[in-house]
Amino acid sequence: MIASNAIGKEKLLRKGAEANLYYGYWFGKKVIFKHRIPKNYRISPLDQSIRTMRTLNEGRALIKVKEYGVNVPQVYEIDAHNSIIIMKYIEGQKLKDLMDKIPISEKVSIFKEVGQQIATLHINGHVHGDITTSNIIITNKKKIFLIDFGLHDYSDSIEDKSVDLHLFKRVLISTHGSDFLPCFKSFIEGYRSEYKSFEVNDSDQIIRNITVIENRGRYVKRDDK
Amino acid sequence: MKVNTNLVLGIESTAHTWSVGIMGFDGRVYSVVNDTFFPEKGGLHPYLVKEQHLNNFMGVIHKALIEANCRIRDINLIAFSKSPGLGPILKIGAQVARMLGQLLNIPVIGVNHCIAHIEIGRLMCKVDDPLTLYVSGGNTIVSAYESGKYQIFGETLDISIGNMIDMFARDVGLAHPGGPKIEKLAQQSKRYLPLPYIVKGMDLSFSGIYTAAKRLIESEDYSKDYDLCDVAYSLQETSFAMLTEVTERALAHTEKKEVLLTGGVAANTRLQEMISYISKEHDAKFEVVPLKYAGDNGIMIAWTGLLRYRSEGEQDILTTIINPKERMDKLTVPWRG
Repeated sequence: MIASNAIGKEKLLRKGAEANLYYGYWFGKKVIFKHRIPKNYRISPLDQSIRTMRTLNEGRALIKVKEYGVNVPQVYEIDAHNSIIIMKYIEGQKLKDLMDKIPISEKVSIFKEVGQQIATLHINGHVHGDITTSNIIITNKKKIFLIDFGLHDYSDSIEDKSVDLHLFKRVLISTHGSDFLPCFKSFIEGYRSEYKSFEVNDSDQIIRNITVIENRGRYVKRDDK
Repeated sequence: MKVNTNLVLGIESTAHTWSVGIMGFDGRVYSVVNDTFFPEKGGLHPYLVKEQHLNNFMGVIHKALIEANCRIRDINLIAFSKSPGLGPILKIGAQVARMLGQLLNIPVIGVNHCIAHIEIGRLMCKVDDPLTLYVSGGNTIVSAYESGKYQIFGETLDISIGNMIDMFARDVGLAHPGGPKIEKLAQQSKRYLPLPYIVKGMDLSFSGIYTAAKRLIESEDYSKDYDLCDVAYSLQETSFAMLTEVTERALAHTEKKEVLLTGGVAANTRLQEMISYISKEHDAKFEVVPLKYAGDNGIMIAWTGLLRYRSEGEQDILTTIINPKERMDKLTVPWRG
């Protein structure tokens, strides 16, 4: 392959909330270009700092959490200046789109594994920051990948980990209301089971703290607390 | 009597505005009259607000009837704001509504204030299934209809955006309402001072920005290195960028094709500009609810009461109780089904 043709974008796959995803190639590999495009609604000093910070943060996080056995796309290149991450193309579907197509038994087993993956992140001091069904990819071989680490943070605090789970719970209720109960239950099961093998098992505290966070919310009646 | 259609009278009474709106069952607006409490100092003291509403409620109803060119006996349905809001103030609306309902022997319907904001926006802006950013002195909510309810995708974790701006305005000696004054000041600056930018998933936090902005004002460098305009500019740019980001996130997630901006803060042209930008990016139609119906008003209560009455029928008078802390995502909205 000729060097000048080694890297290239082919087509726009998806316009996300904060980045455009392009399909392309990188030295013979099928890749995704995640380009955090300038957001003209924000003034440029604010925009620049947010984009650079999140690109670096996401790139580093993806590399780091892969070491712990969490399924995330392999990072090939980080271009902080232009806010681009080049990573492996994961062929599959968003869990969000899959929810209407698969039986509940399959959903339950997927959510259990998602719970295990998130627990692995948490055990190693990482919080995802934006766990949604749009940020989970299921490949054709039923492998589960976590993506979009833009709001990722390093943390060992129970509070931050509970917030992570709380946000996911909220997304499940609002987007997949009818499947919420069995799916979230299975997710928590998986989460707990992964923590069991770890010497400091904070999982009970983290899960209990979700309720505390919910009760801190607005317009929650006192009797519900 | 010129009006010969069925009429619904809506009473809005959740916070500083006592408003009465009269609307035909066909959705035509006949009148809307507001009486708003302006604090001389500090924020909304429930006792003082209550006093004002108690003194003025009858006059406002009277004026609304005159403007609508009808008599109280022509009204066929009463709707009132039952949630969420300040307890003592919600009570006045509920009591007046029940009293009128009993006197006239007509049905009384309790309405959730936040749902009413969305419903009047859908009616006035002719949108069907929007993602709504509702920003006011009391609330900051990103909501859309999903599986039978108005789901909350994002909301503030502490204070509302309007409350944050008002508090800051008060600290620097600007009279209530502070929002428009801060907007004017911000337009005179282009100098950005970094402030905390806090987004958690689709949720927001504004208390840190408030504290940081206050520190900037109290700092020794204030009025040497930078002035009030610069702080106002940075305050707006940071907090509005946060609002816009979570709205865009929710838009990408829900894939709605319409975006509705409502609430008192919707009047801010900078915020409108930002939300309009992301709507275009995602090929969604963008609408701002006209200020008259974006702020608290009786018509939104009347309309939502009518929608609920049509789909659920009469409400037992004993169940027309207030609920100061009711979340909108706990209620079903059968008329959307």
